[in-house]
Amino acid sequence: MKKISLKINGKEYNVEIEKDMRLLDLLRDQLHLTGTKEGCGEGECGACTVIMDGVTVNSCMVLAFQADGSEIITIEGLDKGDKLHPIQKAFLDEGAVQCGFCIPGMVLSAKALLDKKPSPSRKEIREGISGNLCRCTGYNKIVDAIDKASQYLKEEGEEK
Amino acid sequence: MKKRGIGYASTFYGTGYGNGFPDISRAIAELGKDGNVYIYVGATEVGQGAKTILSQIAAEALGIDFSKITFICEDTSITPDAGTAAASRQTYNTGNAIKLAAEELKREIMNVASEELNVNTTNIQEYLKKIADIKGDKVIRKDGIFTASTTEMDVETGQGNPYYPYTFSVYGVEVEVDTSTGIVEVLRAACGQDVGRAINPKLIEGQIDGGFSMGLGYAIMEDLNVENGKIKHDRFTSYLIPTALDMPDIDKIIVEDPESTGPYGAKGIGEPVLIAVAPAILNAIYNAVGVRMTEVPVTPEKLLKALREKERGA
Repeated sequence: MKKISLKINGKEYNVEIEKDMRLLDLLRDQLHLTGTKEGCGEGECGACTVIMDGVTVNSCMVLAFQADGSEIITIEGLDKGDKLHPIQKAFLDEGAVQCGFCIPGMVLSAKALLDKKPSPSRKEIREGISGNLCRCTGYNKIVDAIDKASQYLKEEGEEK
Repeated sequence: MKKRGIGYASTFYGTGYGNGFPDISRAIAELGKDGNVYIYVGATEVGQGAKTILSQIAAEALGIDFSKITFICEDTSITPDAGTAAASRQTYNTGNAIKLAAEELKREIMNVASEELNVNTTNIQEYLKKIADIKGDKVIRKDGIFTASTTEMDVETGQGNPYYPYTFSVYGVEVEVDTSTGIVEVLRAACGQDVGRAINPKLIEGQIDGGFSMGLGYAIMEDLNVENGKIKHDRFTSYLIPTALDMPDIDKIIVEDPESTGPYGAKGIGEPVLIAVAPAILNAIYNAVGVRMTEVPVTPEKLLKALREKERGA
């Protein structure tokens, strides 16, 4: 067992973990943040994507102890109570969700992209989510949604 | 060298189980105690949008707001059998069953409104709660059963009318083939899909995008690599499926030609949006480099081999 401390969605956690535990299992099994999904378990599908210190990682490929001292954002950290995050709202408005299994990872990849690049081209959006596999949607409505989210975030910025 | 080509393919596809296999959908429409309408069907929502479309059909048949419908599906302990979410059949078959149940429910609600409230109207929305209160524990519940038309083909001649209805579609694609690597990139695509009636155009567009990506993977990427009955490509590192970078934007042309037996003219399109993709891509490859590929997926290795054989032959 090993003790680590990390910040998840703005909240401090001090947890005791097994040394060979994956970050994914810490999030899902120990902290019950089950919005993060396990797909392939080998870093190919992106369903388990979370943001770690500003960059997306496959949480199945990160050991929990490696997250010691880091700041993690999961899908649970995006909405503000009843108010969806602009990216989430854009996904709904564009009909970008079908079965939904890839969506938490997609939304977080979109966030990491838009945080760095507020006005991406469609090509850049496609690159930004190219590590997230989706079998239902054919991606196009997800690309539309991220394009729309970019507008929403700008409008929100102007209001402030 | 990079060479471009354009290809088309079109299909017609019979939806439903077909070939005389019994194809029955059942639905229940109920006026709940809270004045909302509850639709019960065993139909499975797997992301295709069945819940949305079937709720829209119920709201239309009752002439009430979409928000007044509570849709309950999948739980087989409380829902009647609506068949499988397969064969592109839920919109047409279960949609018809729901329409029948909802129409029956509306008639009964109108009867009660007429008898108990002395109101004669087809606009029932504002009376739903009142009527639910009058009925108390005796909730109004109506069944709808739809049996699709299908006949078994003649075993001797192979003739018959196995499916009803049919859905028509056509795809056009432009590809770029790299003749030094054998890699095929799909640059753009257009899809014309006959839908009968578009109950929810946005969901149809989503089905077209999804169908295209599956067809694209089928045509040039997805290789199970079966050896002695064992699937060798059994993970995403070897079994490649399209990513967002592989997908082109698609021009979508939704063709509405209402089907007289469909719910408000609608037909199923789940599988039809996939079928013509691979032949269109293979035709485009032929148009680009003059080799006729007859086996999918057209992986870079296979295409390079075919290109070399063509060179040697020429």
